[in-house]
Amino acid sequence: MSFLRSIWVMYWRQLLRFWRLKSRVLGSVITPVIWLVFFGMGWSSLFNSPMASKLFGGLDYITFLAPGILMMSVFTASFVSGVSVILDKERGFMKELLVAPASRAGSIVGRSLGDATTAIVQGLLILALSLPLASGIKLGGIPLAAVSAFLVGLTFSGVGIFLALRIRSMEGFQVIMNLIMLPLLFLSGAFFPIDGLPGWMKVLSLVNPMTYGVDLARWSLVGVSSFGPGLDLAVLGAVAALSLFIAAFCYERATLE
Amino acid sequence: MQAVRAEGLTKRFGNLTAVDGVTFSVREGEIFGFLGPNGAGKTTTINMLITLLRPTAGEAWVAGHSVLREPREVRRRIGVVFQDPSLDRDLTGRENLVLHGLAYGMGREEIRGRISELLEFVELTPFADRQVKTYSGGMVRRLEIARALVHDPDILFLDEPTLGLDPQTRARIWDYISRLRREEGTTIFMTTHYMDEAEALCDRVAIIDHGRIVALGPPEELKASLGSDVVYVEGEGDLEALGRSVVDAGLAADFSLSGGELRLRVRSASAAIPRILELASALGIRVGEVTYRRPSLGDVFLHLTGRRLRDEEASPPRPLRGVRRRFS
Ligand SMILES: Nc1ncnc2c1ncn2[C@@H]1O[C@H](COP(=O)(O)OP(=O)(O)O)[C@@H](O)[C@H]1O
Ligand SMILES: [Mg+2]
Repeated sequence: MSFLRSIWVMYWRQLLRFWRLKSRVLGSVITPVIWLVFFGMGWSSLFNSPMASKLFGGLDYITFLAPGILMMSVFTASFVSGVSVILDKERGFMKELLVAPASRAGSIVGRSLGDATTAIVQGLLILALSLPLASGIKLGGIPLAAVSAFLVGLTFSGVGIFLALRIRSMEGFQVIMNLIMLPLLFLSGAFFPIDGLPGWMKVLSLVNPMTYGVDLARWSLVGVSSFGPGLDLAVLGAVAALSLFIAAFCYERATLE
Repeated sequence: MQAVRAEGLTKRFGNLTAVDGVTFSVREGEIFGFLGPNGAGKTTTINMLITLLRPTAGEAWVAGHSVLREPREVRRRIGVVFQDPSLDRDLTGRENLVLHGLAYGMGREEIRGRISELLEFVELTPFADRQVKTYSGGMVRRLEIARALVHDPDILFLDEPTLGLDPQTRARIWDYISRLRREEGTTIFMTTHYMDEAEALCDRVAIIDHGRIVALGPPEELKASLGSDVVYVEGEGDLEALGRSVVDAGLAADFSLSGGELRLRVRSASAAIPRILELASALGIRVGEVTYRRPSLGDVFLHLTGRRLRDEEASPPRPLRGVRRRFS
């Protein structure tokens, strides 16, 4: 009971904050759109031969890219979950949370669920903006793409929270975030297919959970997939659960030291 | 039942012993104060009592539950106002209070009623729906006090509740604290480095220095232990010799010298001062200024530790009561 209740309280708080800071959120939509417009249209105009189209599963490049950009924005938005943990620590609100009798595990799960929800909202916003550019997107695939976005969101908000619980400063968190984010993005198949990558890179992208999120989103939105939706869902579900479990475990034992 | 009981409570950070085996208990319904300078270990003690820091050694019970083994039970029964701000600044005052009530398992209706009562109590009703980032320091403090009370705790912990506030706001907060105890019977554990605050509010005070309790008792008793008055003599000459001869003459219980000023504990200042001046002139000391006052908790601290409570208070004491006389 206390577990469910803490989930709900923290979920509500994260959504409330999201709503309060909505102007900042609009700003975070700009970067993915810039990618889609310039990177997507730029390459699209070059990759217009039948040969190139074969590389992208028979799609034009911008349609191939759009699900990747969706997942990129979900990934960034959920990783930033860690930033709100650091802010809460810096502003002392973390103490208020830690001294409450509420279930801590529930509180972390609620935080992650809240941040994953807001990440989906941002992702869907991007998807809506990409519809006019990427002609091949199937609207019927949006619900499953949202599921994929949700699982990726949970996974990386868990990772963000886990990191933020042991990092003191905002700068430190930002450094680690930048260090991790670009390789994960480039190795996820969001920008180019991973099938033809050199062996070591391919191995890295196969252990990258993002890869399965991108694959599932692409399967549902444009019908192209390397692994199939079953495997994608299984991997994403397992990784999200593991990530939440680790974050909750660390938070459960958190003190002020 | 004791509201708080600590036995040999100790916290070490690496080599530093921040809290060094403190033992004390707080009675139900009393205002208990921890008085000590910055770095004495007040916040560390509170953090152990409210289950946010694990003691290196010792044990404590709050509201009848062990802070080590039953932290949840302790958390349920306490309200905390931390030394540093701890609100969500992007939310409104009311939203902060509602979140708190929900996190403590209260129902919406119950929360609504309690909040409007508390907003009245801390006089923030007109500002309740503004974001906390628009609040002044004093308003933040008042909202934090209200928040700590939403779930009607048995024991309220206040860590330096008036730190950095203007005198008017301090007076207001003092008023809330004493009303809480009087009207609700809430047990209050507070820390402060202001001796006037401890004197004005606390039923009993533990004076803490370098992590140790050096004295514990009601303020009146602690002060009475110094004798009734304290006389300060400033002047040119051998003040130490003066101190010794005043003590030898049986006029003062003891003396101490700090910052070129002689401090004497006497039974009655008005009787002692003329004779102290006689002794001074006999020793060839040119007396600049003589002041006296009833001892304060600050004097108790000085007496026990040889240092002033606050480094900033290095200026000579002001006579709180009594007269200031000039001799030339
Ligand atoms: N987390 C910590 N790590 C290391 N040292 C600490 C920590 N917290 C407090 N201290 C040290 O412990 C001592 C007591 O601090 P504190 O309890 O905050 O004192 P007070 O609240 O009386 O001013 C200080 O010397 C402080 O520097
Ligand atoms: Mg302190």
